[in-house]
Amino acid sequence: MDENASARLTRRALTVAHRVGLFLAMLVICLPGIWIVLSSLRPTVEIMAKPPVWIPQQLSVDAYVAMFSGIGKGGIPVLDYFRNSLVISVTSTAIAVAIGMAGGYAFARYRFRGKSGMFLGLMLTRTVPGIALSLPLFFLYVRLGIIDTHIGMILAYVALNVPFTIWLIDGFFRQVPKDLAEAAQIDGCTRWQAFWQVEFPLARPGIASAAIFAFLTCWNEFALASQLTRSVNSKTLPVGLLDYTAEFTIDWRGMCALAVVMIIPALALTYIVQKHLVGGLTSGAVKG
Amino acid sequence: MKGFKPSAPFLLLLPAMVVLAAVVVLPLILSLYSSFTPFRLTRPETFFVFVGFRNYLSILTNADFWWAFGRTVLLLTIALNLEMLLGLGLAMLVEKATRGQRILRTLMMFPMMFSPILVGFQFKFMFNDNIGLVNNALQSLGITEDAIPWLIEGHLAFIAISIAEIWSSTSIFAILILAGLLAMPKEPIEAARVDGCTPWQTFRCVTWPFVMPFAYIAMTIRSLDVARAYDIVKIMTDGGPAGRTELLWTLVGRTAYSDARMGLANAMAYFSILLSIAFTVYFYNKLAAARAQIGAEW
Repeated sequence: MDENASARLTRRALTVAHRVGLFLAMLVICLPGIWIVLSSLRPTVEIMAKPPVWIPQQLSVDAYVAMFSGIGKGGIPVLDYFRNSLVISVTSTAIAVAIGMAGGYAFARYRFRGKSGMFLGLMLTRTVPGIALSLPLFFLYVRLGIIDTHIGMILAYVALNVPFTIWLIDGFFRQVPKDLAEAAQIDGCTRWQAFWQVEFPLARPGIASAAIFAFLTCWNEFALASQLTRSVNSKTLPVGLLDYTAEFTIDWRGMCALAVVMIIPALALTYIVQKHLVGGLTSGAVKG
Repeated sequence: MKGFKPSAPFLLLLPAMVVLAAVVVLPLILSLYSSFTPFRLTRPETFFVFVGFRNYLSILTNADFWWAFGRTVLLLTIALNLEMLLGLGLAMLVEKATRGQRILRTLMMFPMMFSPILVGFQFKFMFNDNIGLVNNALQSLGITEDAIPWLIEGHLAFIAISIAEIWSSTSIFAILILAGLLAMPKEPIEAARVDGCTPWQTFRCVTWPFVMPFAYIAMTIRSLDVARAYDIVKIMTDGGPAGRTELLWTLVGRTAYSDARMGLANAMAYFSILLSIAFTVYFYNKLAAARAQIGAEW
């Protein structure tokens, strides 16, 4: 009886400890984001107040209105940056996924000499730090006259994304049983038809998440963009964020608002793909 | 006579290879060449002067470079190990949760959606000595009277950067390790418990070997873009104060674009590339080994 009671007590204590631990962990994870959103809605006076004002007295969307109402008022041309980011990210994602599908299919379905070496080689091209790559690219782009253009950025981002897209798509094609496509071929499909009618539809959710992942990489990339873009012609949002710090004082509220604008598409897209993403990355973990 | 007929995988991989050759390999060859010249952006004619290993020699004797190199390795070691431990802890906490798994998993992915530049910015804001959340909280709770100069004092700045880096990347580990925990067969754990293993022994000898490949996948993915730390440091301290938080990558950027010494910067860049490659190959091999191990056991 006594033993039972103490066991029950221990278990209850463990449950409470688990809850508390979980709560604290989630708090640490979410707090910075919440703080940014909150700060973007508060007047600058409150952000700067000493002693700090913990409970917001008034909320307003002035920062967002100012940001989207043009150069003179918001300080920086956010709309141009937004458009550049969108054009560059979407185009390079489309190209990277097309190339990645071809490559991923080759890795998943064919056996050929030097396969694992080639896979590692592809991955190694991805390890080159953006800043290290930016030096020769900067030089080349100046020579070719495509510095500070959409084309140049798209080209760089396609190369940046292809290795990872191949990895992901390879994983998704591997999850599609080989027999299905073979059955289709026995029934008279060509390999091309079998791919589009059987394997592609099955791998589509995975490919979509690879696409979203590529999009997010472009959307968030900074090291290359900060060197290869110069003006509103091609500056992307992450580079634009630095505009707020370039001045002598930092406009914290404006920066927070821009941060929220940058994070919302990322948030929505990641939420959509979360399940497939993990599946694609880990499909090679156990099976090899 | 039949012409050359390339195989299907070759054709399929051709576009990827062309793009990578044009945008990664060719520029890297170019930068390898220019690391042997005293090339300065402001004086194009220096591109064709060959100086042998002089850039590399001057790096070897450059104290700033070695400090940055050591600091980079230190940051990566601290960050990767802590991320792994915290990620493991977080994954196990979430796995134990009986209700709300889905929402917990979504919340867990939250930091992954932040681009490194945003992470840098939000921590710059939070660690601001005057209006930052951290100092405000410490002062309101009465823990300290003075404003702690988080980003102004060298060691504190390094700690602040590490925290930002760890915050942003722990979730990658947590998610992949959680995927491993969920994919794990339950029988071995029950068998271990029946055989009288303590929880720690069960974890050490059953759970951990199974989860290890997933942890190494996370490591491999992370090592593919360890240089993300550049963005964070660039915006948080820009290598300051007085170069105390200068990492290899910020040093390369500064040498190339502020000092316009491209040749020297390229030589430095090659060190950072080798560092990244070393990390990736190391974890890739670990992954293969871990995979072989559980392949043998299950």
